[in-house]
Amino acid sequence: MESPLSAESAPPTPAPRNHTPSPSPRAEARELRMEEKERTEEDPIYLSLLSEVSVFVEESAEDASEKAEEKAEEKAEEKAEERAEREAQRQLLATEELVYTERNYLRLLQVCNCTIRSNLQKLQPQLPNLDSMFLYIEEVIDMSGRLLSLLDQKQMTPHDPLFLETLCDAFLSLSTDMESAYKEYLVNYNTVTALENSYKQKDALWTEIVKVIKSSAPEVNAASLSFFLVMPVQRIARYPLLLQTVMKHTEPGHPAYSLLEQTAHTAIALNCRINEYKRFREVADKYKKTETLTIRDKMNRLNSHSIAKKTARLSQFIKHETGIAPKLVDEEFDALEGFFYLLENGITVLHENVETYLDHLQRFLNCRPEEFDLDMDGERPAICYKEIITALRQWILPTFEKRMRTLVHKPLCALRELLAGPRNLISKRLDKLLDYELIEEKPSLSYDEQAVANTYKTINTLLLNELPQFNGLALTLLWGMLGAFSCLHKDLAADMEQLFQGFTQQLPHGSLEPNAFWEWAECSVQEGARRLESLCWNVKDQLNAPIVQPLSPGSQKRLKVLTDKHGSGKIYQLTGHVVGSRDLDLSLNRGELVAIISEMDTRGDKRRWLVDAGGPRGYVPSSRLVRYHQVTMDPPPSPHLITTMDHAGGVRRHSYTPDVRRPSYTPDTPQPLLVRTMSMTVPCLQVLAGYDFRARSSHEVSLRAGEPIRVLEPHDKKGSCDWSLVEVRGQRGYVPSNYLTVMPTSTTPTAPYR
Amino acid sequence: MSWMPFKIGQPKKQIVSKTVERDFEREYDKLQKLEDQTKKLHKDMKKSTEADIAMSKAAVKISGDLLSNPLCEQDQAFLESMTALDTAMKRMDSFNQEKVNQISKTVIDPLKKYSSVFPSLNMAVKRREQALQDYKRLQSKVEKYEEKEKTGPIMVKLHQAREELRPVREDFESKNKQLLDEMPKFYHSRIDYFQPSFEALIRAQVVYFTEMHNIFSELTDQIDQAGLTDEQRERENEAKLNELRALSIVADD
Repeated sequence: MESPLSAESAPPTPAPRNHTPSPSPRAEARELRMEEKERTEEDPIYLSLLSEVSVFVEESAEDASEKAEEKAEEKAEEKAEERAEREAQRQLLATEELVYTERNYLRLLQVCNCTIRSNLQKLQPQLPNLDSMFLYIEEVIDMSGRLLSLLDQKQMTPHDPLFLETLCDAFLSLSTDMESAYKEYLVNYNTVTALENSYKQKDALWTEIVKVIKSSAPEVNAASLSFFLVMPVQRIARYPLLLQTVMKHTEPGHPAYSLLEQTAHTAIALNCRINEYKRFREVADKYKKTETLTIRDKMNRLNSHSIAKKTARLSQFIKHETGIAPKLVDEEFDALEGFFYLLENGITVLHENVETYLDHLQRFLNCRPEEFDLDMDGERPAICYKEIITALRQWILPTFEKRMRTLVHKPLCALRELLAGPRNLISKRLDKLLDYELIEEKPSLSYDEQAVANTYKTINTLLLNELPQFNGLALTLLWGMLGAFSCLHKDLAADMEQLFQGFTQQLPHGSLEPNAFWEWAECSVQEGARRLESLCWNVKDQLNAPIVQPLSPGSQKRLKVLTDKHGSGKIYQLTGHVVGSRDLDLSLNRGELVAIISEMDTRGDKRRWLVDAGGPRGYVPSSRLVRYHQVTMDPPPSPHLITTMDHAGGVRRHSYTPDVRRPSYTPDTPQPLLVRTMSMTVPCLQVLAGYDFRARSSHEVSLRAGEPIRVLEPHDKKGSCDWSLVEVRGQRGYVPSNYLTVMPTSTTPTAPYR
Repeated sequence: MSWMPFKIGQPKKQIVSKTVERDFEREYDKLQKLEDQTKKLHKDMKKSTEADIAMSKAAVKISGDLLSNPLCEQDQAFLESMTALDTAMKRMDSFNQEKVNQISKTVIDPLKKYSSVFPSLNMAVKRREQALQDYKRLQSKVEKYEEKEKTGPIMVKLHQAREELRPVREDFESKNKQLLDEMPKFYHSRIDYFQPSFEALIRAQVVYFTEMHNIFSELTDQIDQAGLTDEQRERENEAKLNELRALSIVADD
């Protein structure tokens, strides 16, 4: 993790920023042990032991597998040890980072408060309101100073095992005071930025200010006051992340772990409370003077009478819908009932929608893209992104969610439950009404009938009285929730904006206008894609070069046909797939053989060659073609030597190289014989008998394996290449050609091939 | 790379030095980790973007359903409030969509493209390993012949074996060198490749939240009671709910 103050030269504090800590004694011991291991495995005694034992493969197989297991275990242990070492180092680095950045932060704040401030005060004409810029900076400086002095008192360095505990204790003990100091500072910070902007309006004044800043703090690349003054805003938000980075590299079993956890949580809670306080103050300050409660007024006007009046329209609507007015039509009631049902619908739907919304919010919070930083934790944009998203995910959005639940979801749930009562009562009234209608006309009612009538009337009256209140209250409640919903969004956005402050300065392209920025971003992305593509091509082409396989029978046939037609000098092989795009282009696979008809197309383009693919003719890109070497059927003019090698068949994998000088391999008979041609320039080759041969007739001559011979004619009287006329030991005669072999006579066997 | 127990066919001469092998493994390890992280980041970004879109759409539904409820027609002020809420939500959704599009183009697509290089790279490493095995096999064959008596047939066989070995060794060496060259370069290239992505991610968020702040500041002024703290709001809600509960028509639970 880099501190934001990157443009500095050698810092005055003891720990240089990018130093690797000197290896601890444990690490050094490990180094020694590893060297030892290397040495034993190359020990000549060890090696010869290896070769002896290799004879008794079966017996030692078991031992071998046991040893393998042991070795694997040892290796796993080693790896675990290595990892623990690395984590310990990283933890150390993170702790040092925290302390180092704190010192730097304090120093810069002090420079700002003392040097810059006093220099600014000397400016003529006097800067208006200068003091309000520095209103709470001293409290913040004091906090930082106290934290560092608590650490220094113990005279420990981060290497000390107890350092973490001291750090956490110090932080926790100061957290209350820190909250007080920072919350005032953050509230005041808006004033600071507004004031700075007013200074910027006057060019001459601003130039003077910048001059003062640059001369007071020459080693820092600052061009504004807010460069310094934004630091506390950033610092308080950074504590959680710094602490969590230390935690990330600490074993849960570490004695200071739970304390570290507690400290990290405290840091987060600190941020939440400070933000809350800020919001509260902003709202209070804004509305202290004007009492704009028109919304409240409007809501208060929703009383029972107004609802009944306003819902008169609704009763008309109902009348029209039903067509026939029921005998006992109570317009007022119907209006109230209608309103109630709409309210019920609205509340239910809203409740479901809010729950869906909160679900998605939770899903969003469950994603942790900031954890996969692609090992780019030295890069500014990656760091900024990580910090922003961590803050968003860890306390800004959770605060938003909590407030949503408290101020919107919970009351909505409660309200929804309350709907049941009136709803049931309304349906009961209807039932009673139907009963009542039946007996209403009767002149005299029995006792039971009287009871029915009374029940209906009671319910009706009750609803008529209370439903308006219910409707009105429910509506105002709803309205209030929606207002809160909007306010929560506003606060969320404000929190994020505060978080962003200072970050955009740090980004290399942060100052670009939106259009320019997106243009740059899209261009860079395209550029990156292009480079990636070419890398892919390289990897595919070079590293995955096709492995030469013996020709398939089909290929062999084609080879013969093409060679007969065009001659062996014209045979080329495809090094990659080609897909024809124009009219006469061919589509061929990698490895296919073709014969060249013309090394350019009809327009003279030398990159397109006309080829014969053993049937179809067309163009292929010349970049995909390479010369194919094979045994020449017609004997070359100079005495040439055919060597034969007895090979036990099987697929041989050799690298394919397009180098013209290299011989390539191909079997040209069904027998697994390999025939090779060589360019003969220097006769430093010797023909030998490869095997013993007993002459069976007077035309033949016997051979002894290894003896040098001289080839007189590489074929017999009938022209067959199976027999060669040779001279050996002064005798002449025929021997089978494949019993001969060629050996270079020089001591470096590979020399003639270069 | 792993310790092979007493296998026949292992050459005696150390073909690849331990340091080179270790370097190779280390570089390849880094790349494998990078591959893993790239894939995970891609997946996570996609998931979070989907959730983001869903959230925004849910917010639009909240205001849309309210506005379409005839309840709004009952009171002019309420109608105005709901209309304002709906407009605000729709505007936010369109900004969100824009944000998501930009992130798609500058972050998610590049991530995917970057991942697509790894299969070829892995294949190349496998091919190198194959080449190494071939090399070792042929090398041990050559050594076998070198140790035997120097008779004619043996010399011939030795010569053949050396001939077979040479192109294989060269193939391996070239593959090895190229990979040792390319792997660190590719690993390092991630910095330049992804820097615009990270910057774009941040910038897109900044734009979105700035708009959100503007839109909702206006809206809150219009539809919200001013100057309330959370405790005050809670108290008001509770007071109203209690008033409701006090009504006889409301069921007592």
